[in-house]
Amino acid sequence: MTALVTRREFLNLLGSTGGASAALKAGSVLGLLPAASIAKSLDLLALGAKSKRVAILGGGLSGLTVAYELGKRGYECTILEASHRSGGRIFTVRHGDLIDEIGNRQYCEFDDDPHLYFNGGAARIPSLHHNLLSYCKELGVELEVFIGENNNAYFQDDALLDGKPVRVNNYKANIRGFLAEMLAKSMSEQEMDKPFTEQEAENLLGIIRSFGDLKEGDLYKGSSRSGYKTGGFIAQGVQKDIIAFRDLLQTQMGGRILTAYEGEQGPSLLQAKGGMDKITAGFLSKVGEKVKYRAMVSAINVSNDGVEIAYDQDGTRQSLKADYCFSCIPTHLITGFNHNFPSEYVRALKYVRRGNAYKAAFQAKERFWEKDGIYGGITRMNNRSADIWYPSHGMNQDKGIILGAYNFRGGMYHTNMSQEERIEAHIKDGEKIHPDYRSLVEKPVTIAWHRMNHMLGCAASWNKDFGSWTEEERHMFDTLQAPVNGRHYLIGDQITVNVAWMESAIRSAHWALEDLDQRVRAELE
Amino acid sequence: MSKNKLTVVICGFLYGLSFQLQGAEEREPYDDFYCTTCHGADGRGNFSIQAPRLAGMEPWYLRRQLENFRTGVRGAHLDDIEGLAMRSMAIELTDEGIADIVAWVGSWEYDPPQVSIEGDVTVGEQIYSQCAACHGEDAQGNEALGAPALRGQNDWYLVTQLKNFKQGWRGGDPLDNYGQQMMSMSQVLTDEDSINNVVSHINTLGRD
Repeated sequence: MTALVTRREFLNLLGSTGGASAALKAGSVLGLLPAASIAKSLDLLALGAKSKRVAILGGGLSGLTVAYELGKRGYECTILEASHRSGGRIFTVRHGDLIDEIGNRQYCEFDDDPHLYFNGGAARIPSLHHNLLSYCKELGVELEVFIGENNNAYFQDDALLDGKPVRVNNYKANIRGFLAEMLAKSMSEQEMDKPFTEQEAENLLGIIRSFGDLKEGDLYKGSSRSGYKTGGFIAQGVQKDIIAFRDLLQTQMGGRILTAYEGEQGPSLLQAKGGMDKITAGFLSKVGEKVKYRAMVSAINVSNDGVEIAYDQDGTRQSLKADYCFSCIPTHLITGFNHNFPSEYVRALKYVRRGNAYKAAFQAKERFWEKDGIYGGITRMNNRSADIWYPSHGMNQDKGIILGAYNFRGGMYHTNMSQEERIEAHIKDGEKIHPDYRSLVEKPVTIAWHRMNHMLGCAASWNKDFGSWTEEERHMFDTLQAPVNGRHYLIGDQITVNVAWMESAIRSAHWALEDLDQRVRAELE
Repeated sequence: MSKNKLTVVICGFLYGLSFQLQGAEEREPYDDFYCTTCHGADGRGNFSIQAPRLAGMEPWYLRRQLENFRTGVRGAHLDDIEGLAMRSMAIELTDEGIADIVAWVGSWEYDPPQVSIEGDVTVGEQIYSQCAACHGEDAQGNEALGAPALRGQNDWYLVTQLKNFKQGWRGGDPLDNYGQQMMSMSQVLTDEDSINNVVSHINTLGRD
């Protein structure tokens, strides 16, 4: 090993990057947390005798939020939903449900049992997503823990140890041991004196030793954190063999394995008990009668004093006139409507690209992962299926629904396949983790968001250069966030900088509602 | 017949054919009005989905393309993302289903698309002289030669298809006689500029 990083260099490095707090502020690119906040209580003017009509296009979470909040204040809301269900990308699949993928229509064949469901869209609630959690409380949606991080789950990469799956704790313990050994060595060199006090230096060394479970001489000699080869209760535990440092470095996924559960994806995460669509059901218990289903918008015309919507329902074209319009229809579908939007607005609508996230799930004939000591959590694979999620609920039941693939950015790979090819690919990938996978799973479903009817995409993609926005992109975002003529608001996670979260959908709805409120107050007060 | 009334008639006709899978289990019914999700309201085309304008498309041409997608003569190239999506849709269409779609599309009123491509119209006109033999002087199409109308289509779609022909994503199948002709003709378009130029000329030809 050449040129270890010295302590001073290490500190300089920290200083030059602005230190830990600056890194924390760097934002979602590293999967870190957006600024924390508490749930907002909306101070919106309640209308008196003079009501206002509001057209809400799309029954996604942001649309439901708008209907719920405005309904409380005396607005007269109508929701037009093109599909047969509300919730948008909150989509829980159960026995008999229709998965309306264009060109690959499926009915879910899971057994008819309340715990046998699959969250094919939104699946995790970070515990700092206050506004969503506050609605869950208000609407009586029960929550339970979602287990993401599970050190007993596996990590598999064909490049690592001949493709043999490794327990996450085993990979982590070894890589941390070697990293700590490097750090401790740099601490031990002669520069020990300067800028730390003796106590600080000792404490820092303590952290490093503990981080890597270092033994005497600050050497990494394996760790019980990897789990024992044998024993550990009656007989003495026999430590697993160390995985050689060089072997650990054969995978490109090491960093991801170490940090997969930081920020918004870190514990504690929550899920709605019984399926994420219990959140949709909570809203529908308040605004359900306002929703028109299978009502497909075909035209939006905005004038100075209102909005006129044309939509098709039951084979006829109908019209809906409103004072205001809130649309959570995806930008890429709006461009296919007849409309009179300004050209700048249309340019921005056309710029936003549609996401292609893809998920698949199987019913497992038995909960084989639990026999292997895995209760909830995620196995990571360096292949296109990418993840296996073990359900956080229904533990010790006979069967369970297991996620067999989740590819957020590379979903086209499976989307372009036939249903049979998709399933075969997931089984082949899963067999690398669980050798009997093929015989243990059945009744597959696949959710290719890029082709789902009335969706044709997952989370919006704004910035072409991943991780940063150009000035032009910021300008287009502002253009779409601002209401057309003060009458037509675009809402949904698509109009946030943190797409794909339910909290984002709600925050965009709140932003629009507060903007509307100012206009209404100016008019009425 | 007014547009609305016509829509009612056609949709009512289709409506009877939909909801096919309502069976013993009382499953969620589906409808078969998938075309407008991608191709936009009344088949006006949608740039964001890269789905072309269907309103105004000749029935014989639409039928042939649906059949080509169904058999895989078109839409099977692995780089043609939109073609693959269309093929997955068309693969299970029956002859009757294709006839229904052609009738439904025929009920949509044609509105001229907006121009979105910039090019040199004069140069484009010179290039177009080679296209006119099949597609007509005014790009009005020629059924006898199997050449569709070009005027009135979304210009961005024409550009995409010319590129697809040029790189063999479309027209490469030995069973696609018309596509193969077009693939060889597209080689006269030497670069992106020449494609934009010829499409800009087509944009000037208008449409009734």
